[in-house]
Order: sequence, then C-alpha cells, then structure tokens
Amino acid sequence: MATVRLFVTCLVDVFRPEVGRAAVTVLERHGDRVECPVEQTCCGQFAFNAGYRQEAALLAKHFVEVFEGDTTPIVALSGSCAAMVVHHYPELLREAVIEERGSVKEAEGWAARAMAVGREVVEFSQWLGQGSPDSALGTVGRQRLALHQGCHMRRILEETRQPKELLEQQGFEVVELEDSDQCCGFGGTYSMTEWRVSTALADAKLKAFQDAQAGGAAYLVSSDLGCLLHLAGRLRRLGAQDPTRHVAEVLAGEEDRP
Amino acid sequence: MIGNLPSDPHPWSERREAGLANTTMRQTLGLVTRRFSVGKRRVFAEDPEQEAARRLGVEAKRQAIANLDSLLDQFASKVRSNGGTALMAGTAHEAVEAVRSIAATHQVKVVVKSKSMLTEEIQLNRGLEAAGLTVLETDLGEYIIQRAHETPSHILAPAAHKNRQQIRELFEDDAKTAGLAPPVSDAASTLTQYARERLRREFLQADMGVTGGNFGVAETGTVVLVTNEGNADLVTTLPRVLVTVMGVEKLVARWEDLTLLIQQPAMNGIGQRLSAYTTLISGPAASVAEGPAAWYVVLVDNGRQRLRHTVYEDVLSCIRCGACLNVCPVFRQVGGHAYGSVYSGPIGVVETPLLTNFGVGAELPSVACTMCHACKEACPMEIDLPGHIIRLRQEKVRRHLNAASLTASYHWWSRIWATPRGYRWSLRWARRLQGLYQRQGRLVRAPGIARGWFQTRDMPPVAQETFIEWWQRHRGGLDRERRS
Repeated sequence: MATVRLFVTCLVDVFRPEVGRAAVTVLERHGDRVECPVEQTCCGQFAFNAGYRQEAALLAKHFVEVFEGDTTPIVALSGSCAAMVVHHYPELLREAVIEERGSVKEAEGWAARAMAVGREVVEFSQWLGQGSPDSALGTVGRQRLALHQGCHMRRILEETRQPKELLEQQGFEVVELEDSDQCCGFGGTYSMTEWRVSTALADAKLKAFQDAQAGGAAYLVSSDLGCLLHLAGRLRRLGAQDPTRHVAEVLAGEEDRP
Repeated sequence: MIGNLPSDPHPWSERREAGLANTTMRQTLGLVTRRFSVGKRRVFAEDPEQEAARRLGVEAKRQAIANLDSLLDQFASKVRSNGGTALMAGTAHEAVEAVRSIAATHQVKVVVKSKSMLTEEIQLNRGLEAAGLTVLETDLGEYIIQRAHETPSHILAPAAHKNRQQIRELFEDDAKTAGLAPPVSDAASTLTQYARERLRREFLQADMGVTGGNFGVAETGTVVLVTNEGNADLVTTLPRVLVTVMGVEKLVARWEDLTLLIQQPAMNGIGQRLSAYTTLISGPAASVAEGPAAWYVVLVDNGRQRLRHTVYEDVLSCIRCGACLNVCPVFRQVGGHAYGSVYSGPIGVVETPLLTNFGVGAELPSVACTMCHACKEACPMEIDLPGHIIRLRQEKVRRHLNAASLTASYHWWSRIWATPRGYRWSLRWARRLQGLYQRQGRLVRAPGIARGWFQTRDMPPVAQETFIEWWQRHRGGLDRERRS
C-alpha cells in the first residue's frame, strides 16, 4: 500500500471540489493511503505564464515549502500544474531569486529544492497507470468518452498514453477529437485578457466535441480542469448542459452528477 | 543596431477583429495549415534519414551563428572573388538605399522579384517605386497579394488567406489593365496559366532581378534559393542586373551544412521532400558563363546581430519554413495580417519585438499565444519559441509595458495566495461578494481581471466548502495521526 500526497490544485479546490473527493475515492480503491497537505494553495502557473516571474516565484516557494522534505509521491489533479512544478519551477526559482536577491548560491539552493519536490510529482492518471494493467479501480466503464488531452500534459509532460489507456482498461471507449492536438484556448489568464481569441478556440474545440457527441460520446473528459471549466463555461453560456468531466470523476463512477 | 520593421497603424484589437470576422480566410488558412502539418508528418515518416539530417543541420546553424563575424567576411570575399559585389546594410533603410543606388547605377526601369520575406521586412518595393521604378512580384502568391495591395499572411504561402474566387476577381481586373484575356475559370491551373503568360512578358522587359536568399554558403560564396515555381530561375537569369537581398543569419559555413538543411524548409513547411526548384547563384555571367552581367549581394542586419550572445540567439537559426505558423492555434484563428508586421505566427510573436527592441509588436507576446507549446514541437530548428514568449512577457513586466491595473492584479493575487491564511481569506470574501454576480447558481459576471472571461463564458461559483475545507472536516485526523 502506497501513501500519496494530493496536489489538489486551486481550480479543483475552489471551483470543483467534487473532483478532489472523486480522486480520493479512486486512489483509495487503488489501495493508496491518501494525505492532503492542507497548507497548499496554488502553484503559480497563472502568474508564470503571464510573465510575472516574481509573483510566480512567491507561490512556487510556498509550494516547495509545503511539499519538501518527504519522498511520498505527490499526485497532481492537473497535467498542466504538474508540468509547472516538474519542468518550470527550478529555472523559475533560479532566475527569480537571482533577479531579486542577486545571490547565485541562494538561487541554486531554491532550484535544488524545487527539483527535489518535482521528482515526486506525478499526474493522477500517470500514477494510476503505473500499476499493473488489471489493477482494480472498481470502475465499470460503459460509456464512450471524448478525450481532451491538455497541451501541457501532451507537450511538457510528454504524456500521450494516459489517461487514455487507463480509461480503456476500466472499460470506457475513448475517442479522439478532430484536431485533438489543437489548444482549446484556455491558456490560464489568457482566457480573460484575450477572451476573443480564447473563445474562438473554445468554439472550434466544442464543434469537434459536437461531432464526437453525434458519434455517441457521452462526456468530454480531461486531466485538466482549467480546459474543462473554460469549455463548460462556454457551453453553459450558450444554454447547453455541462458535459465535461475530470478523469477522476469518471473513474469514481460519479460522472452522472446533474 | 535596432531593426526597423513595418508596422500596421491599426491596433491589435482591430486587426484581431478583422481576422476573426474574415470567415473565408479562417477556412482557407485552416485547410492549408492542416494540409501542411499532415504532409510534414507523412514526409518525415517516409524519409527517416532526414530526421538525422535535421539534427545535424540544427548544430550547423547554431555554429554558423556563433561564428557569424568570420563567416560574413569569408562569404563576402568569396562573392567578390566570384565576380559579385557584397554589401553590408545595418538597417532596413540602408538596405533599400543600397538597392536603389544599384538600380540608379545601371539605369534600371523594371524590376522583377522572386519571393523574399526580407524584402517585405525592409519594404523594398515601396522604396523602389518611390524612386520611379516598376516592381513586379513573380512568385504566384506574392503576385496575387501585390495585385490586392496586401502583405503576406503566411511566411511561406503569402496568399494563403485568399480563395480561388477572390484570386480570379483580382486577375480579371489585372487583365483589363494589361490588355490580356481574363482567366476563364477559377481552376487553379487556369489561374496559374494566366499569371504565367502575364509574367512572361515582364520577365523579358526587366532590367533587374531581385531575390532573397534561403542559404548562403560561406566557403563557396553561393546563394541558394528554394522555390516551387521556377520563377527564381528566370529572375536570376534574364535581367542584366541581379540583386540578392538576404539576412546576415542565412549563412552556413560549409557546402556539407547546406546539404543537411536544403530539404528542411519544404519538408517542415509544406510536407514536400524538396521544393520543386533549387536555384544556386554562384556569380555573374563573366564567371559562370550564364546569367546576369552584374550580381550584388546585400547582407542585411536590421536588428539581427543584437540577438547574438543573448538567450534569444537561437531565433537566428530560423529557416522561415512556416511550420510554427501551421500548428499555431492563434494563427489559425486570426491569420497573418493580425500580427501587424511582416512575420506572423509564433516566430513573428518572438522576432517582431526582438528585432525592433519592442518598437513594433510589443503587444504580440501577450495577445497572440495561449502557451500551448505546439510551435516548440513543430520547429525543425529547435527554437525555444514558447520559452522566448514567456521571457518576452517577463521583459514587458520589467519594462512596465503592461497596464498598471493588470500588474496590480498579479501583484496582490500572488501575495495573498502565497499564504494559506491569505488564500482562505480571499475565498471567504469571494463567497460573500459573489452573490452580486450570480444567475441561476452560476457566476455570470466578475470585476477586474476576470471580467473578460464572463464576456462569453459562465463559471461555477466559489464552492461553499472547498476541497481542503472538506478534507479538514472529514479527514483532518488522518494527517495528524501520521505526524504524531
């Protein structure tokens, strides 16, 4: 039995806590003992992507302080946030500390601490997919799901097998969207500051999902809640139901929520 | 030296709206860029050796940029010993002046050009026309947009935003002024045939040819052009004077480096094994038995060498294949003109502000990138495009180029969320205030930085119980148990 620490992400914590609860259910069925460092807040990606390096570094330092000094795996409920910690933290902290304090030694210290934390971070479906293929999650997947692989999971974590394989092992049928490698337009605060382009991209992605729905896809599933909130928010505004589900929700069998 | 690039006077918001409203362009660009991207994957799968060549080619380009000073000397002296004249131009203005003075020396009246992004960058046509010269583009795409008085919307396919019907209409107008029979249909072959006949006349009248340069080989003094229409062969052989205008970063050291790179623009840009025509310019007629009587090479800096020895140096390896444009989600939506200068797509987002020290396109890094990293995956020269876009966004913060209100939002947001106390405090306030912004249990409006989201999208409200609050209520004991 493995112990894991949950990297909840701010979006799950604040806007869809049911995703976090579903993840706990699935991890426990998987046989994991789940912990949740309650001091965690946000990884800082929103500020990093917008070019606010010092601001991102404040949040990154807090994240490192909360999660360091322990080699228990850190299971992230977002591919993008996992990518932030694993691939951007060391350089971010090195550069931000040099810029602010001018001390290379201090900067290298922070970079090393970030790297140590990053080594333990794994995205939720990657963690579950590491086990034996027949590991019982107690999920009886029957539906056809359309998968949206977030850009950072695909290109920064370079993860293309999961969550597809995992979902298929649990009985779901997974279909790819047309132009699946195109961004949905979320992009963190880009969705706010450049909402026109962001929405045009959402509409293109939702058009592809409509085609998948016509082919029998019941839900639009992703490891990244940011993309899903953006796409769901667009559909809601257009007066449609919300067909988006986080991978944890479908694995927990809680996809049929209203 | 800081470069000078053309700058569309319309602000980004207007350029973006024009792009989004142009459904024909969006459809055409979507089709073209998808076809190119699919072709690229296929052609690399068919010819795996080219992947090894690409990797070595990246090394060769990086080396060339590192040794650029000595390569420029070597190249210039080789061009001279081949009977040509090599000139250096520090800025766009100097480059245009150099070409004008060549034209004056040789009493040139009519100029024919093959496709060159650099001449767009320095606005050569305008400069030559102001001096009373007639300038004709002979690349089909460039010819089309010259007729339409537009600028290229795609580095490789300048008229990618136009469909066949629009092109036919342009040619019908052109036929009236030229006294030719208009094209009888909008079939691609008919349109091409029209342009071919139209341009043949001009080729024979032209006094001067102007080309760009895809590669310059320092050890031989050769300029290499890759084209798909054969027009460059005519531009380089028929007129009595030939001027090659190329960026200083186009040099490679050895012939062998060229062989590694020669297929890369076509393979990565349009999914073709090799462009249909490869034109080598090695000197004027006196030294190579055919071609123009005089050959000049104008090597243009225009802000390029400033980037050497900086974190942005790899940008100078760009071979202008257009692969990054083809995969860019923002490019597909707004098209090339929205970028407001010459270079569009991710490379334009990076190069436009860099070459001009934020004089042109300072808005681009913020507005024209979702940070999806598709360009990084696509770039055959392994240029860190998304990394540079983040760095340029950081540079904008340092230079205070963002709105003060935006900067204040990030400042407070990150400071408040950097402690669990601040994070929880902010959520309590959000719960208290969000009633003002809800309809049917959904957030439909918000103030400040989040306002843009709600123009087109709803959002769930801040949960009455966050996950962490739920955890503390139900599972808090577990953590304490383990720690004790």
